[in-house]
Amino acid sequence: MGERTEQVITLSLPSSMQHVDLLKVIVTEILKETNFTEDIQEQINLAVIEAGTNATKHSNKENPEKQTTFQLILAENQLTIAIEDEGEESTRPETEQVITLSLPSSMQHVYLLDVVVTEILKETNFTEDIQEQINLAVIEAGTNAIKHGNKENPLKKATLEFTLAEDRLEIVIEDEGDGFTRQEVADPLDPENLLKSSGRGLFLMEACMDSVTYENNGTIIKMVKYKGIPES
Amino acid sequence: MQVNLRHKGSITILDIEGKVLGADSLALKDIINQQIQITKGEAEREEKLNLILNMERVQMMDSSGLGVLVASHTTIRRDGGNIVLLNLGGNVRSLIVMAKLMTIFDCYDTEAEAIAGIIRT
Repeated sequence: MGERTEQVITLSLPSSMQHVDLLKVIVTEILKETNFTEDIQEQINLAVIEAGTNATKHSNKENPEKQTTFQLILAENQLTIAIEDEGEESTRPETEQVITLSLPSSMQHVYLLDVVVTEILKETNFTEDIQEQINLAVIEAGTNAIKHGNKENPLKKATLEFTLAEDRLEIVIEDEGDGFTRQEVADPLDPENLLKSSGRGLFLMEACMDSVTYENNGTIIKMVKYKGIPES
Repeated sequence: MQVNLRHKGSITILDIEGKVLGADSLALKDIINQQIQITKGEAEREEKLNLILNMERVQMMDSSGLGVLVASHTTIRRDGGNIVLLNLGGNVRSLIVMAKLMTIFDCYDTEAEAIAGIIRT
């Protein structure tokens, strides 16, 4: 079959030239996981950026309400890249931009999360401290989805959706696992758990974000950070 | 993440650089465990592992990295050795504070203080 060795990474971006950098860091990071020579990696990167720029600029006319979707398919001996621009009008509010990233569940992709989040956060006006908190929360949530939700099964996807709104950043993380009950996860600050080597992920996410909610039996986690002071 | 291993007398120092996340936390765990095993191999000489983790160039650490620090602390102390942290940056420090682990780890701002502190304990 051969399909089982394929890893598909999907990235969906609003059609704005500012996001081309995001595409670049992701492609650079993905290419590191391949055994293409450095020269070839640069060539591929250039080709993807040209194609991405075309889709963003010419097909979608830099309309941020329209999405450009990139599919990077890593097979044993080849890398396939599919780029799709959006034909029909989007129904999203003009002030919201949505970036979606979908990854096979492998721990090596945690770094991809880091570069993506770092790049997305650059486009916001959160302070550096807050950016670091959000970055940590996303890495913890992504690691949870990959490791505990999808049990590191590369055939299962971890999907992250970032909504950049005027007043907040919203991040929804979804896995294909069996879910969990938040109340049943032990408190890592409890003296008897303090010296455990794991179990701090959810706590750190909740400490770093303004709100964290668990939906669909915990397979969907929604995290929000407000730009001003949150209404409490 | 990059880790440089060096020795000062009987003290082992790991200079850690970059981001300690995901798979790299496991790599760090392996490096520390290797040092634990090497010291155990020298048990007839009654060597204890005295390990300084130089965190000066750690940009970021997640809960998996923190878990490695906690587990290493437990193992090394149980064997009669010691592990201390040097040059904690703001990020890692706030992570340790959030997890209420500041009282667990001895932290130092200079290598000389860390060396003096680790021997005293």
